[in-house]
Amino acid sequence: MRVYIRWLQNMKLKRSNILNYIITLLLATLIVSILVQFVNWFFLEANWNVISQNFPIFFLGLYPKDQYWRPLIWIILIILSLVLRIKKRSNKRVQKISIFLSVLIIPLGIFLLGGGLGLTSIPSREWGGLILTLLLTLCSGVLALPLGIILALGRHSNLYFINRISRLYIEFMRALPLIAVLFFGQLLIPLFLPIGLEINRFLRAVIAFSFFTSAYIAEDVRGGLQSIPPTQIESASALGLSQRQIIQFVLLPQALRTAIPSLTNQAVGLFQNTSLMAILGLMELLGISRSILANPNFIGNYLEVYVFIAIIYWLIGTVIALFARNIEHQLNSFK
Amino acid sequence: MINNVLQNKKNTPITCIITIPRRNIKQSIMSKKNLLTVLAIALACFGCSNQNHGTISRLDIIQKRGELKCGISGKIPGFSYLQQNGKYQGIDVDICKAIAAAIIGDPSKVQYRTLTAPERFTALRSGEIDVLSRNTTFNLSRDSIGGNGVTFAPTIFHDGQGILVKKSSRINSIKDLNNSTICVGSGTTTELNLNDIFQERKLNYKPIKYQDLNQVVAGYRQGRCKAMTSDRSQLAAVKANLPDRKNHKILEEILSKEPLAPASIGGDQKLSDAVRWTIYALIAAEEFNITQNNINIKIELAKADNTNTSLRRLLGIDGNLGSKLGLRNDFVANIIRNTGNYGEIYNRNLGPKSSVTIPRGLNNLYTNGGLLIAPPLK
Repeated sequence: MRVYIRWLQNMKLKRSNILNYIITLLLATLIVSILVQFVNWFFLEANWNVISQNFPIFFLGLYPKDQYWRPLIWIILIILSLVLRIKKRSNKRVQKISIFLSVLIIPLGIFLLGGGLGLTSIPSREWGGLILTLLLTLCSGVLALPLGIILALGRHSNLYFINRISRLYIEFMRALPLIAVLFFGQLLIPLFLPIGLEINRFLRAVIAFSFFTSAYIAEDVRGGLQSIPPTQIESASALGLSQRQIIQFVLLPQALRTAIPSLTNQAVGLFQNTSLMAILGLMELLGISRSILANPNFIGNYLEVYVFIAIIYWLIGTVIALFARNIEHQLNSFK
Repeated sequence: MINNVLQNKKNTPITCIITIPRRNIKQSIMSKKNLLTVLAIALACFGCSNQNHGTISRLDIIQKRGELKCGISGKIPGFSYLQQNGKYQGIDVDICKAIAAAIIGDPSKVQYRTLTAPERFTALRSGEIDVLSRNTTFNLSRDSIGGNGVTFAPTIFHDGQGILVKKSSRINSIKDLNNSTICVGSGTTTELNLNDIFQERKLNYKPIKYQDLNQVVAGYRQGRCKAMTSDRSQLAAVKANLPDRKNHKILEEILSKEPLAPASIGGDQKLSDAVRWTIYALIAAEEFNITQNNINIKIELAKADNTNTSLRRLLGIDGNLGSKLGLRNDFVANIIRNTGNYGEIYNRNLGPKSSVTIPRGLNNLYTNGGLLIAPPLK
């Protein structure tokens, strides 16, 4: 409030600022009128039946109804593992559980969703909605990170062949648009495979995403590697550490910590990019929404649906960003 | 002195995974050649695997797999859409079910694959789907080897392109649309037809292109264009669901004929025959007045009556029509038991009681003034 008053006083002092007044006023009315219209639409005009009646489909897609508990358990486990990691726990048991959970979250997810070992098996084409988006993001991210780190190290290697291959791969992938890579994975790979041999569509999407993202991650990690002064390596080797030990204990911990902000960027980007799969017919969050919109009962409710999924994308994107910031703070406190 | 050495070293790369002496670099270049040969062999292998495509029919693969991969739109009311219970519904979906009932014997053994218009033929060619049942217009360039190289089954829906306008715009014919904006879906024959007809009549228009029908409708409703064009079937669905449907009308003029037909990969006669005769069986069943309800009675009747040869052949009691196609002899009975005949499928999805009502018109049997006729199943 005080700032506002001071700003007004400042304005009064400068007589030449009438134009400023007008622009401010115009912009303010514009923003207010848009807001009023939106609120009016949101509470009065919008027909939210399309969301409420299809609620489970948005989140779980075509997943069989009597098995809904399986993806739900997985979501709860994800949230649990995030919550356990937010604060640095002194309790060692909790720490152990949280590490255990985050390592196992993907195998657990695939087991819970796909079934086997006593659970009814459900083919991956029936996975859909938000759960598919999340699984796609997590699997691709977890595959892309080690691949990216290896590529970054490869690019720093002074072995001619490894260096060239890593560089070629990174430059090649970065020069391609993501949609082309996805298109290749979804539609052209089956052309090369012998007839009868099929790779799961979900797997093909994960591979395409992780190959693409790894090139970007490699560059982020390389940035981290470059920020480490070479004297550290020299002192490490003077202490008698082996190559592997230098990478493991000196280079990577520091490089990755430096790279966290840009890696977060990649994670959020990857999450948002999964929506491209809707164009290629995978029923993730956006894909399933478009199919729901074709139901004759809900034609024309596109705005409600898109606002709804925009909120979901925003929420999860924000959670990823906040979580990464939290981890960054925890790591920095070691310094 | 030591400092100097360290500073000089600063410019060297930070690390290496394994250190090899410099003279070994030549060897690693040599291995590049090896890699190239390996690559060449791998490519050659891919090449030979591709040649196998012609020898095995997809029909056998579908039967072995026990599942039909059917490409649908998933976004067209009345034709294919997702219901609240998470199941697909629509006339295109029922065609998939009928084909699955004919080939596999179980209409639930269908894996639906939602496709957008630009990717549908690639998906068919790559074997991503077995059958395309997605509102696809049957035309020469799609059917021919020089074009998309697919094989079309008989038309399941005779459609035509129309134009939807607001009544208040006082547009009564295409002529009145001179110099106005028109919303249209991109990458479809709709777009081409619109262009053709306006050029033919020397009229100007400004197209606003969208990816799918929902967006075209949205554009039209927001008033971004004076008119929207699409197949009349779709316009009927759109109009039925507009909040102010009485203020809109579909122009009388038809811009094109749009026979919508399922398709399968070209050069695979076994599969395309099976698909073709599945559709004909649906139409023939309506001609014979065999429905989902009376199929068992009809079978009993045919079994009892030796003289009714055509019915006996159709239902697989006599002859071996099915095995000629590589299907079971009672495939027609199996289809009708599961999906009903063509008329039933039509009424379920587009009939007067459905939420998207389109008068049958051209899609009636030839005996009722329509265009549907099935060659004899002999």
